[in-house]
Amino acid sequence: MVEVWRLLDTGLRDAYYNMALDEAIAIARSKKLVPNTIRFFRWEPSAVSIGYFQSMEEEVDIEACNRLGINYVRRRTGGGAVYHDRDGELTYSIVVDEEHPLISRDLQKTYEVLCSGLVRGLRSLGVPAEFRPINDIVVEGKKISGNAQTRSMGVVHQHGTILRDVNPNLMFTVLRVPSEKIRDKMIKSVEERVTSINKYLKREVSFDELKRALIRGFEEAFNIRLAPGEVTEYEENLAIKLRDEKYSTREWNFRR
Amino acid sequence: MLRSEYKAEGGKLIKVQLSKEDNQITFIKITGDFFMHPEDLIEDLERSLIGCTIDEETIIERIKRFIEEREVALLGATPEDFAKCIVRAGGGGG
Repeated sequence: MVEVWRLLDTGLRDAYYNMALDEAIAIARSKKLVPNTIRFFRWEPSAVSIGYFQSMEEEVDIEACNRLGINYVRRRTGGGAVYHDRDGELTYSIVVDEEHPLISRDLQKTYEVLCSGLVRGLRSLGVPAEFRPINDIVVEGKKISGNAQTRSMGVVHQHGTILRDVNPNLMFTVLRVPSEKIRDKMIKSVEERVTSINKYLKREVSFDELKRALIRGFEEAFNIRLAPGEVTEYEENLAIKLRDEKYSTREWNFRR
Repeated sequence: MLRSEYKAEGGKLIKVQLSKEDNQITFIKITGDFFMHPEDLIEDLERSLIGCTIDEETIIERIKRFIEEREVALLGATPEDFAKCIVRAGGGGG
């Protein structure tokens, strides 16, 4: 019998709730209150997330974010700074028991296995995606997806981005660059190093079409069935608490 | 404050800020886009380096011991990478 995981689609939410809900799902899973889960989500307003170990002031142009109404949040996972465009990007998270056969002790291997669902989904759209260690998915050498993972309480939590559309100008307005002089150069270099689904396929792929492809990709790669479900009351209450007491606070976001 | 950046093999960036006295670390902050969990042990790792002599081998040993004792997982950066970055930051007088 095929194993069933829960599928959540929480739509457009702000950065603090988005990060809080990810943690709430991981905690709920660790208490065996919910099944293994894959969640899709987007960001409204657009936002920047930074890795756990990064410095907010060093990575993010706070003044530009405030001017443009862009949120900024620290993630519970390591990795780099990411600009999450409201209309350009789909984000996913996977929350799975550490004892699950998909998960090995080898962290690098686990990234590859969990990313294989995305790779498969992207390929079904006609995008020749490949996993590139440590934590990226690339198309013809250009990055299309970045991913970050942590383990705690017996649960593996991986989240990441899939670029449907890309806007390097805005990306470098909100992310700090070493100097203004090289901003143009960096924008150019991002155009050479980063791609998106729309850019590669030269057509507009809707979020719905992308999600359908990824759902199939995860189901086939993990040999599971994804059953649409809801955020539980426990998770929702915990997410609100984590949003208010952690992810939206200056103490958390500027702690490094 | 002394600073340095070091790109680990595999591409993750480590940034170190430190103060020293008599070639021993008196303050250190390690930031960057590497992966380490449990994440909240980074501050304990920094604390464990206070008083450490700025010498590559000594720092590698100190970090390795911390990782083993506290069951820390690292990805994208090694104790050797951290040590290189710390020695670079601490290398120039002050």
